[in-house]
Amino acid sequence: MVSRTRAKRAGMGILSGAILMGALAGCGSAAQSSGSKTVNLVFATQGLGTEAQATQQAVKEFEKLHPHIHVQIETLSASSNSAYQTLVTDLNSGSATPDVITSDVIWPPTFAAAKWIMPLNQFHPNMSRFYPGMVKAGEYKGKLYAIPWFINVEGVYYRTDLVKSPPKTFTQLVSDAKAAMAKNPKLIGLAFEGNKYEGAVTVFQDVSGGFGGSFLNSKGQPVLNSPQNIRALTWLDNAIKTGLSPKAVTGWEEGNVQQAFLSGDAVFATNWPYLYPLAEQKGSAVINKVGFVPPPTQGGKPTASLGGDDLVINKNTKYPKQAWELVSFLTSAKTMTQRALISGDPPARTDAYTPALLKKAPWFKQEEAVYADATPRPVTPLYPRISARIQEALSATYSGQLTPKQALDQAQKAVQAIVSGHGS
Amino acid sequence: MAAKLATRPRDQLPRSRRGASYLARRRRVGYLLVLPALIALALVAIYPLLYNLVLSSRFDVATEPGTQHFVGMQNYHSLVVDPAFWGDLLHTGIFVVISVTLEFVAGMILALVVNRKFRARGLVRASILIPWAIPTAVSALLWKMFFDIRSGFVDFALSALHLPGAQTVWFNSPVLAWVPIILSDMWKNTPFIALLLLAGLQTIPQEIYESAKIDGASSWQAFWSLTLPLLRPAILVALIFRTLSAMLVFDTIFVMTGGGPGQSTEVIAYYNWYKYMVSLNFGYGAAVAVVITILALLLAGIYVRILRQREGFVT
Repeated sequence: MVSRTRAKRAGMGILSGAILMGALAGCGSAAQSSGSKTVNLVFATQGLGTEAQATQQAVKEFEKLHPHIHVQIETLSASSNSAYQTLVTDLNSGSATPDVITSDVIWPPTFAAAKWIMPLNQFHPNMSRFYPGMVKAGEYKGKLYAIPWFINVEGVYYRTDLVKSPPKTFTQLVSDAKAAMAKNPKLIGLAFEGNKYEGAVTVFQDVSGGFGGSFLNSKGQPVLNSPQNIRALTWLDNAIKTGLSPKAVTGWEEGNVQQAFLSGDAVFATNWPYLYPLAEQKGSAVINKVGFVPPPTQGGKPTASLGGDDLVINKNTKYPKQAWELVSFLTSAKTMTQRALISGDPPARTDAYTPALLKKAPWFKQEEAVYADATPRPVTPLYPRISARIQEALSATYSGQLTPKQALDQAQKAVQAIVSGHGS
Repeated sequence: MAAKLATRPRDQLPRSRRGASYLARRRRVGYLLVLPALIALALVAIYPLLYNLVLSSRFDVATEPGTQHFVGMQNYHSLVVDPAFWGDLLHTGIFVVISVTLEFVAGMILALVVNRKFRARGLVRASILIPWAIPTAVSALLWKMFFDIRSGFVDFALSALHLPGAQTVWFNSPVLAWVPIILSDMWKNTPFIALLLLAGLQTIPQEIYESAKIDGASSWQAFWSLTLPLLRPAILVALIFRTLSAMLVFDTIFVMTGGGPGQSTEVIAYYNWYKYMVSLNFGYGAAVAVVITILALLLAGIYVRILRQREGFVT
């Protein structure tokens, strides 16, 4: 009993000591920061492993150049959905932090419409070297809200040892895949992302554009059930029905497609540039047998769904100037090249592809050809809602609940309501 | 000061302050002592609830800043006329009935088993709790992997045993997708029911069973006429907890199917999440939350009434 009381007292002592220390430490840092005017920026960003390493190194160099700015990195969830929810909660509360935010390329219009992030025109950014599609995706109502950080496009990977030349049309893709499958029945003709999530929409955009379809027309009105889109969805659905793609793709995301391609099981695969260096690395069964091209076409134009990350600035930041300093440093050609070397994230500006980078990572050359066909998803604050309806349509089709036409008719109706302001 | 006073034993109080006002003082101290808890409750439960209620009567969409205004019951009206809301409510109802029933039966069996005396009983009792201690999202992911058609354990077992169902893409069927969802929910929550029932079983004195045995009752009869009625309070508590949390199921479905295929596994909590996080329609989202709260209160009310009706109720 006695020892327990003593232990308790000791515990209380330690606790109160810790609280006191905390208070003192608090005073200390407050005094310090007001003395030398050190500004503390919070930088919310995604990325683990080599991506985190690249961010840390860039931030360290930035702090060396700007001794009065301290950057605190806040790592968001690796899941895009969770990161989005964290940011929505923070920004909607009107919080002044995070000051600088890494934003998926599809978020800025929503954030801008909600007045959560600030227009960056006041800082007179020079956008001439950035990929134009990606710059456009960061604009809302004529103002620029986001600076591209790295680019991503969904293209088609193919096996150079199984397919002589990349297919020009979707029909040719099918026959090329079937020819390879005839020789080796264990092969997957086309591995693609078919789960009910954003990745299924980017695949559909690739195929839809190739058939000449789009999600919204030039007036911003939905054209989801256009004949081109129905043809595109039918093509994807048939891939599953005819065995070109295993039924399992209806639950696949990038990781599953990656696994199928790297293990040498797939003739074709839709995926992002990150897969290329992995395919040329130890542990891959397809070293030196990889090609990466824009998706084929059949009446439309080559369409590679644009992904990637932007940097945006919180509208309520206390330090807009310093936040801009950080953004412009991180999006400089030099920092982007360095990031590409460390983590493989493809630079979002053309002048970052230095000879040194291309020598070390030759696949960037092939990737650059695909960036030319980068097509943003609809740049509108309504996009998350539109995408959700498309995801439902794709999933309902792949599971046989609706025909491609029925599913797209339904999505069209729902998106029409959303665009006209009567739906959610 | 008040808190200090309360901890001091009665006889140490100054003589002048003892006497007639002692009870009043004691009561005041009592109120002061529960005050922090009340404040905490008000801050974390009552304030958000009221705030949410007010929000549900407003047009408040994040992507249309500066247009927030009072709309009365309009959000509730949009909700009632939305077929998706009723569809998701139906899914939720079916999920609650099936999963809670299965969990209850399995939990009862588990509780009866670990209530018997056998070697290493303590170890078994502790180990059945493991699934319950695993975060829902993790157990959902685990079961999603079990049901993976290419590398999952379920497909492997079904094909090895030549059972029907091999090569099934579980998550691509509007009906079969519920199987892994319910199994994952069962695996995680059955131990919880078992634990509550076990606690109830341990309050039943052994003598009753002994006299029943002497009277010639079979163990089956003893279960129906003794165990079940005496376990009633524990059963109801277990059912209240599980029904309410099953009604709010979200993580399992979000992780496993994202509401798919199509919209066939969307539940009411998913609908709510969608309105808040995808539509960023905070007013509408709040209205959904209010409706869910009312439904939960109604269900809890019904259960509590059943519980009170029994005279032999002992906590």
